[in-house]
Amino acid sequence: MSAVWRASRGAVRRRKLQTTVIGLVVFGCTVTVVLALSVLAVTTAPFDDAFGKQRGAHVVASFDAATTTPAQLADTAHRPGVRAAAGPFAETTLEMPGDWLGYAPGSITVVGRADPGGPVDQVTLRAGRWATAPGEIVIESNDFPGRDLNVKITPKGLPPLTVVGYAASMSQSARGWVAPEEMAALHPTAYQMLYRFSSAGTDQQLHASLATATAGLPDGALTSAQTYLTLKQQFSAGADSFLPLLTAFGVLGLVIAVLLVGNVVSSAVVAGFRHIGVLKAIGFTPRQVVAVYLGMLLVPALVGAVLGSLVGAVLAVPFMKVAFGGISTGTADVSHPALWAPLSCVVGMPVLVALAALVPALRAGRLSATRAITAGSAPRAGRGLRVQRALSGSRLPRAVSLGLGQPFARPARTALTMAAIVLGVTAVTLATGLSSTIIAAGTSGSPPVGTGVEVDLGQAADHNQQEPKLSPAEIEARLRALPGTELLTRRYLTLVGMTGYSQSVYADFYGGDDWQREARVTVGRPPTGPDEVVAGPAFLAQHGLHLGDRITLELAGRRLPVAIVGEPLEGNAGVVTSNWQTALDLAPQHRVNSYEVRIASGTDSAAYVKAVRAIDPGLYPSVQEPSGATAPTVSVIGFTTVFSILLGSVAALGVFNTVLLNVRERRRELGMLKSIGMTPRQVTAMTVTSVAGLGLASAVIGVPFGILVHRVIVEHIPIMVFSESMKDVWHAPELIGLALAGVGIAVLGALVPARGAARLPIAEALRTE
Amino acid sequence: MTTDHKLTTVSPPGATTSRGDAVVRLAGVQKEYGDTKALDGLELEIRAGEAVAVMGPSGCGKSTMLNLVAGLDRATAGTVEVHGQDLGALDETALALFRRRHIGMIFQFFNLIDDLPALDNVALAAQLTGVSARQARRRALELLDELGVADRKDAYPAVLSGGQRQRIAVARALMNRPALLLADEPTGALDSRSGEQVMDLLIDLNQIGQTLLIVTHDPQLAHRCASRLVEVADGRVARETMLETPK
Repeated sequence: MSAVWRASRGAVRRRKLQTTVIGLVVFGCTVTVVLALSVLAVTTAPFDDAFGKQRGAHVVASFDAATTTPAQLADTAHRPGVRAAAGPFAETTLEMPGDWLGYAPGSITVVGRADPGGPVDQVTLRAGRWATAPGEIVIESNDFPGRDLNVKITPKGLPPLTVVGYAASMSQSARGWVAPEEMAALHPTAYQMLYRFSSAGTDQQLHASLATATAGLPDGALTSAQTYLTLKQQFSAGADSFLPLLTAFGVLGLVIAVLLVGNVVSSAVVAGFRHIGVLKAIGFTPRQVVAVYLGMLLVPALVGAVLGSLVGAVLAVPFMKVAFGGISTGTADVSHPALWAPLSCVVGMPVLVALAALVPALRAGRLSATRAITAGSAPRAGRGLRVQRALSGSRLPRAVSLGLGQPFARPARTALTMAAIVLGVTAVTLATGLSSTIIAAGTSGSPPVGTGVEVDLGQAADHNQQEPKLSPAEIEARLRALPGTELLTRRYLTLVGMTGYSQSVYADFYGGDDWQREARVTVGRPPTGPDEVVAGPAFLAQHGLHLGDRITLELAGRRLPVAIVGEPLEGNAGVVTSNWQTALDLAPQHRVNSYEVRIASGTDSAAYVKAVRAIDPGLYPSVQEPSGATAPTVSVIGFTTVFSILLGSVAALGVFNTVLLNVRERRRELGMLKSIGMTPRQVTAMTVTSVAGLGLASAVIGVPFGILVHRVIVEHIPIMVFSESMKDVWHAPELIGLALAGVGIAVLGALVPARGAARLPIAEALRTE
Repeated sequence: MTTDHKLTTVSPPGATTSRGDAVVRLAGVQKEYGDTKALDGLELEIRAGEAVAVMGPSGCGKSTMLNLVAGLDRATAGTVEVHGQDLGALDETALALFRRRHIGMIFQFFNLIDDLPALDNVALAAQLTGVSARQARRRALELLDELGVADRKDAYPAVLSGGQRQRIAVARALMNRPALLLADEPTGALDSRSGEQVMDLLIDLNQIGQTLLIVTHDPQLAHRCASRLVEVADGRVARETMLETPK
């Protein structure tokens, strides 16, 4: 065993507490960073991998069959810039009735393809087989397990189709595929071309490439073009929403780790002057001394990094589930976090720790042996003396004034400790702000007092249900007449096409009383006029749209241009919400899917449900429990809380370490103070005060910084848009509470060593050299 | 008087103690550190106004005895009574308050606070009892003046000589007018000239009635400053010798 390793091991054994502190700090920060990196990794890599494997289409283009011919479109495959192309495939839009395979009614895009392979968009068959015969269809489905094969679906006005397979396309080129021979029976209205271009890095490049490929085609031939960049954005939208949060906490974690490690090593060098002197006196070279101090850290750093990486990797799995919940991931594997994230932390964190320790370790290496042995510890004279003197003459109790003066004796150590508390306070402020914002958002659309009853209308397609015999108007009138009915909202949910996009979206229409509540608009206004919709931030981001833009909804051959007039707080990335007038304009023949009834306080909900059933056996009422926070909301609050506790604890550990060092360094002084009559309570007060002041000062910096970070984050969560009142959550009691959080972190960290100091055996302390 | 200054401010020590009363009474005191017996049935009595020097070889238990008398440590068995108070019956806080009121201590290595100037080091002892900064500084200055180091009141310990540091430590020990002044090798870290000055100071203090208990290896210190010499061996009092009254 080398002398350096032996000395390092000895140093680790002598500083068990500090070794534990370093290990814990590195552990906490590694968990945070691994989570942040894991999410960062899955935002693009799995999509790129799966997209590459399927030779995904850079652009899925639809052409009007009335103005172009297959020959013209086939010709586009040979235009400059087109690296590969597939098609033309005949394309049609089918109108699906209610509850087909569990989906809402509406339009779906179906394409005729002879096989799932080809030079572009190699569709992955996940269950069953490809449609090869007339009357067969393969459905695009992300969640194929548990779905039945050979079930029949019946598009409006067409004979039934048998589902023979489920497939996934990373290009999301269609919602269903049939054999080309079947297409004639489905009355195709368009042709689909799938392109891969040489130049496809940006939206501009894609549009330029498409323009080159389609040059010379008749005007209006190209009816829609969906780029893979939009799909990529959709894919990562959920994970992206956590990125600002994770990045903020990841960076905070790293900075705290560097500060604390630097502090611990600096302190170890300061406290170990005599030890360094002895090492040098017995022949250690400066380089060996540096190695001893670095080695002393590597053991806890490595243990912390390995354990932190393991825990981070384990936590990343459920985290991914939340981040990718409800998102069409196709064949991309998002269930396994990228291995490079934990691996890079196992290597990177100890390196970071070593770098943080390098400056103080080099200082140890440069120390002269004589000076080190003589001094015993680094001299303190001359630092903050004026402050000490002023405090001596103050009216404060002497134990308090002595404590307040202590931070000035070691300004560098104080600065590092303070920085750690500042970051801890920032984390707590951020967590408080985010929770307040999300709670404010959650309560903004809270229903009025009273129980809700949802009344679904039976679907003929569902064998377990029967359709109502009464007309919607009659049902509504009867429901309004029921005793206890306070408010009634009618709802019509349907799948619609969107001009320019190959994927269908849901259109959710509300009418009746209190329907605006459903929109919960935080930016812009509710859709009060005809042909107006609101769409959530996730929808806008994933479709490259903005407030004020116009889109065209398509249903059953009808096209309706609508304006996006508002953004709700959050919302499904595939849903637009609108009013009853717009529903009438888009689908005059539509029918109500359900009613939402708010019953008066004191009404017996069970009796009400029974009364609803009595109106018509085709009505399926259910009492609605008050809805709690949504999954993303819970996730954001949950993760924020976990990270804040983690970083707050790490900051408290930093304080603990500093106070421990101060107590050890001032052991003899403490012994003397106790010998002249300082009581245990005064010792505790002095020790706690030495950092409580720092805590308060740190809060003065950390709270505004936390408020700033909160503002940046709430304005950059892609799946949520908050109103100004939701962002402005800072009030005097909260700010006072946060200022106390700084003191709290400091006191929490100082309490144990302070009690140790109070119990310090005086005779032993005075014997200490 | 052997110093240039008259010691008036330090007196009267221990307001409730009369010359001749027992200030310290140790009866059957034992102190064990694990398997090691530092004190083994030690008996000792010190009367008000006495100057007692305790000598003995290293490890004989003399510093342990001093710590017990100062209330810095607790006896394993036996009674330690100081100023009529059984120290074993006091909890940590009461012990601290007792030290504050009745005990002054001088250490071999001074134990001054590096960050405080001489004046504030001395004032500290009174400030801990709740005396205002102004009053404490006023009395500290008087003490420094009487001990001949008033001109160094603003100096920090790092720039003072050993003798000056020890005088400041003595001033701090006297700040609360203790009944008993304990000195642990008070000249051990000083050159001979400074040692002489400190010895003179201790003699002066005793002459104005201050009870002294000095632990030392230095026979010269013991013989010059003490009226009684107690020799300790193997944790017991081996011999007691009356000395000439200090001059």
